Amino acid sequence: MSAQHIHPEPTTFLRKYWFSTDHKVIARQFLWLGCFFLAWGGMMAMLIRWQLANPGEPFPLIGQLLMPRSGGIVTPSAYTTLFTMHGLIMIFWGITPVLIGFFGNFCIPLMIGARDMAFPTLNMASFHTMFIASVILLGSFMVPMGSGAAGWTTYPPLSTQVGTPGWGQTIVVIAIFFAGVATIMGGINYVTTVIRLRAPGMGYFQMPLTVWGQWLTAILNVLFVPVLGAAALLLILDRTFGTEFYINGSMATENTGDPILFQHLFWIFGHPEVYILILPAWGIISDLLAFFSRKPAYWYKGTALGMTAVTILSAVVYGHHMFVTGMNPLLGKSFMLLTLIISVPAEVFFLNWLHTMWKGSIRWTVPMAFSVGVVFVFGLGGLTGLFLGTISTDLYLHDTYFVVGHFHLTMAAAAFLGSFAGIYFWFPKVYGRMMSEKIGKWHFWLSFITINAVFCGQLVVGWGGMQRRLYDPSVYTFLEHLGGVNKLISYAAFVLGISQLLFVYNFIASMIRGEKAGDNPWHVGTLEWSVPSPPKHYNFDPIPTVYHGPHEYSNPKVTGKDWVGQWEPPDVIGGPPAGEEKKGEAASGSTQAAE
Amino acid sequence: MGEVLAYRSERMRQDVTSWIGMVVFLAAWAMTFAALFFVYGAMRVRSPMWPPSGIAMLPLGLPGLNTLVVLLSSAVLHRAVVRVREGRPIRLPAWVGATMGLGLLFLALQIVVWRSMAEQGLLPQTGGYGAVFWTLTLFHALHVVAGLGVLAWVLGQALRGEVTTAKHAALRHAAMFWHFVGTIWVLLFVLVYVA
Repeated sequence: MSAQHIHPEPTTFLRKYWFSTDHKVIARQFLWLGCFFLAWGGMMAMLIRWQLANPGEPFPLIGQLLMPRSGGIVTPSAYTTLFTMHGLIMIFWGITPVLIGFFGNFCIPLMIGARDMAFPTLNMASFHTMFIASVILLGSFMVPMGSGAAGWTTYPPLSTQVGTPGWGQTIVVIAIFFAGVATIMGGINYVTTVIRLRAPGMGYFQMPLTVWGQWLTAILNVLFVPVLGAAALLLILDRTFGTEFYINGSMATENTGDPILFQHLFWIFGHPEVYILILPAWGIISDLLAFFSRKPAYWYKGTALGMTAVTILSAVVYGHHMFVTGMNPLLGKSFMLLTLIISVPAEVFFLNWLHTMWKGSIRWTVPMAFSVGVVFVFGLGGLTGLFLGTISTDLYLHDTYFVVGHFHLTMAAAAFLGSFAGIYFWFPKVYGRMMSEKIGKWHFWLSFITINAVFCGQLVVGWGGMQRRLYDPSVYTFLEHLGGVNKLISYAAFVLGISQLLFVYNFIASMIRGEKAGDNPWHVGTLEWSVPSPPKHYNFDPIPTVYHGPHEYSNPKVTGKDWVGQWEPPDVIGGPPAGEEKKGEAASGSTQAAE
Repeated sequence: MGEVLAYRSERMRQDVTSWIGMVVFLAAWAMTFAALFFVYGAMRVRSPMWPPSGIAMLPLGLPGLNTLVVLLSSAVLHRAVVRVREGRPIRLPAWVGATMGLGLLFLALQIVVWRSMAEQGLLPQTGGYGAVFWTLTLFHALHVVAGLGVLAWVLGQALRGEVTTAKHAALRHAAMFWHFVGTIWVLLFVLVYVA
C-alpha cells in the first residue's frame, strides 16, 4: 500500500519554510497567519468595548497613536469600521485559518496515516491565496474613507456605493473573495485526502472525531463558500461596473435588483458557515474528552453521525436569519421547524460528551480544561439559539445584543476555546516541546471566566433591548440603566484580551525552551502519536496498519497501560478470539483506576 | 477493500484520487453556477413581466445553433476519450483540436449575440435583467476560455505523444471540465433563452 511517494526533503530556506508543500509547514503558516489576525481582530473588539463602556472618551495609552485625528476617540464612522472588520477578520482570517487551516492541515494526514495531503501543491497554493487575500485586506485600511463599514454581513444597500462610498468596501469584498477561493482549495484537498489516503484498516468509523469534524467542514466549505463567492462577485460588479443586482430604484416597479437577494445568497452560505466554524472544534473536543477521561468516546457513531446530520441540516435552515425581511410566514415556519430539528442531533453528541466524562478517570490537563470549557459555552450558546430559531421570540430579539451574545458563545467562544484545547494538545507534536501547564491553567481560568462574563452580559443587555451595532447606548433613556452591565462586559473583555498575552508568552517560551515532549506525552492512541515529535518530513515509513478505534482506553484486558495505539496489533488486547471483546466497552467504564 | 486495491497499479490509484478531487472541484463550481441561477430565478419570480417592458427579446436562432455546437464539441471530445481509454487507434491531436475549434466557434457566435443585444440597448447596466443576462453568459464564456486553456495544454501533451491508454488522466479530467461547462450552457440556454 505504498501509494504515496516519499518526496525528498527540500533544502533551501524558501522551499522549506515559505513555498513548502509539506502539510505540517503549511499548517504552521496558517497558524501564525491566524494568530496575527486574531490579535488584530481582538484589538478591534477592545476598541469597540471601550466605546460602549466609556462613550466618547479617548482610548487610554495608545488611543492617540491609533486614531490621531480624533484625539483617540472612537468616532461613529470608525466604530462602524471596527465592528464590521472585527467580524470579518475574526471569521475569515482568524478562526478559519486556525481551526481549519492549521488543525485540518496538521491533523488530517497525521491522524489518518498519510504522508501528506492528496494534492500538496494545491495545498501550498491555498495558503498563498490566503496570504494574498490578507495583503488585500490590510490594504483596505489604507485607502481614503477607510475600510469596509457595512457590517460583517455586508448587506446592500449599506454595502453599495450609496451606503459605503470609496474603495474600502470594494477591496474588502475582493479580499473575502480571495479568502473564499483559498478555503475552497483547502476544502477540495481535505475531502479527497480523507476519502483516499486513509491507512489500511482505517474505515470511516475508525477515524478520530477530529478528522470527522474537519471532513464535514471541508464538505460544507466546498459546497457553500462558492455561493459566497458568487454573492461577492455580484456585489463587486454592482460597486464597480454599475450593474443592478442588489440595487432597487425607489420609483422603479420592474427590472430592478433586490437587496434581499443578497441576504438569501449570503445566508445560503452563511448558515453552513457557522457550522463550518464550529464543526472542527466539536471534533477536537469529542476526541480530547475521551482522551483525558481515559474512556472510549461514548457512542462514537452517534457523535459522528450526529455531526453529519447537523452538516446536512445546516444547508436547509438559512431562512431563520431572515424572519424579519417580510418572508412568507409559511416559509418562515418551515425554516423554524428545520432549525429547531438541528437541536436533536446536536443534543445527541452533547449528551455523548457528558457521558464520555461520566465516571471517567479525568486528567485535568489544560487541553481537557479547555474542552470542558467548550462544552459549557456551547451548551449556553445552543440553548440561547432556541429563542432565535423560534419566530415569535426572534421578532423581538432580532438585531439585539442577544444575537451577538448567542453567536459569540457558539462560534466565537466555543471555537476560540476549542482552538486553544487543540493547540495545547498538539503543540508537543508540532514543536516537539510541552507548553507550560501552570501558565496554561491561568490562561484557561482567566479566559473562561471572562469570556462567559462578556457574552452572557451581552445576552442580558440584548434581552434588555439594546440593539447591536449601536454607537452610543447612553443617549437612549431606555438603555441608560444598562450602562453598568456594559461597563462590566467591557472590563471583562479587557481582562480577556490581556490574558491572551499569557498564551503568547507560553507559546513562544515553550517553543524555545519548553520541556522536551516524547513521542506520546499524553498517552493517547491516535496515529500521530506513533511518530516522533515533531514528525519527520514524510510522517510515516512504513504506512501503519490500523487495528483499533481511536479511543481504546482502560480496556481491562490490556496490562501495564490504559491505552492502546490504533497501530498496535490486535494481540495487545490479550488475544481472546473476536466476539468476546464485545464486553470491553461496558467494562471499561468501571476501570477508572487502570493506571 | 484493501485487497482489491492491492492489485491496482499505483498510477491507477493516483488517477482515482485526482478524479475524486476533480469531482469535488466541479461540485464547488456547480454551486457557484447554482447561486447565479438562483439570482436569475429570484429576479424573474419578482418581476411582473419577463423580459421587463422595453427590453428586447433574446434571440433563439444563434444560441440554439450554439447549443448544437456545444453538444457536438462534447461528443467529439467524449469519442476521443473513449478511444484512448479502450486503446483503439485515434489521431488524438486532430480530435482535441476539433473540440477546441468548436469551442472557438461557440465564442465567436456568442460575441455576435452579445453585439446584437448591446445594439438593441441591453447592457450590463440595464437594470436587473441586463445584469443577470450579461453576468451569466460572460461568466460562462470565461469558463469556456478556461476550458480552452486546459484543452490547449492537453493538445500539447497529445502532440508530444504523452497521452496513452495507461496514462491519460489529464485528458479525462479536461473532458470532465469541458462536459461540465457544456452542461451549464445547455441549462443556461433552456432557462434563460427558451423558458
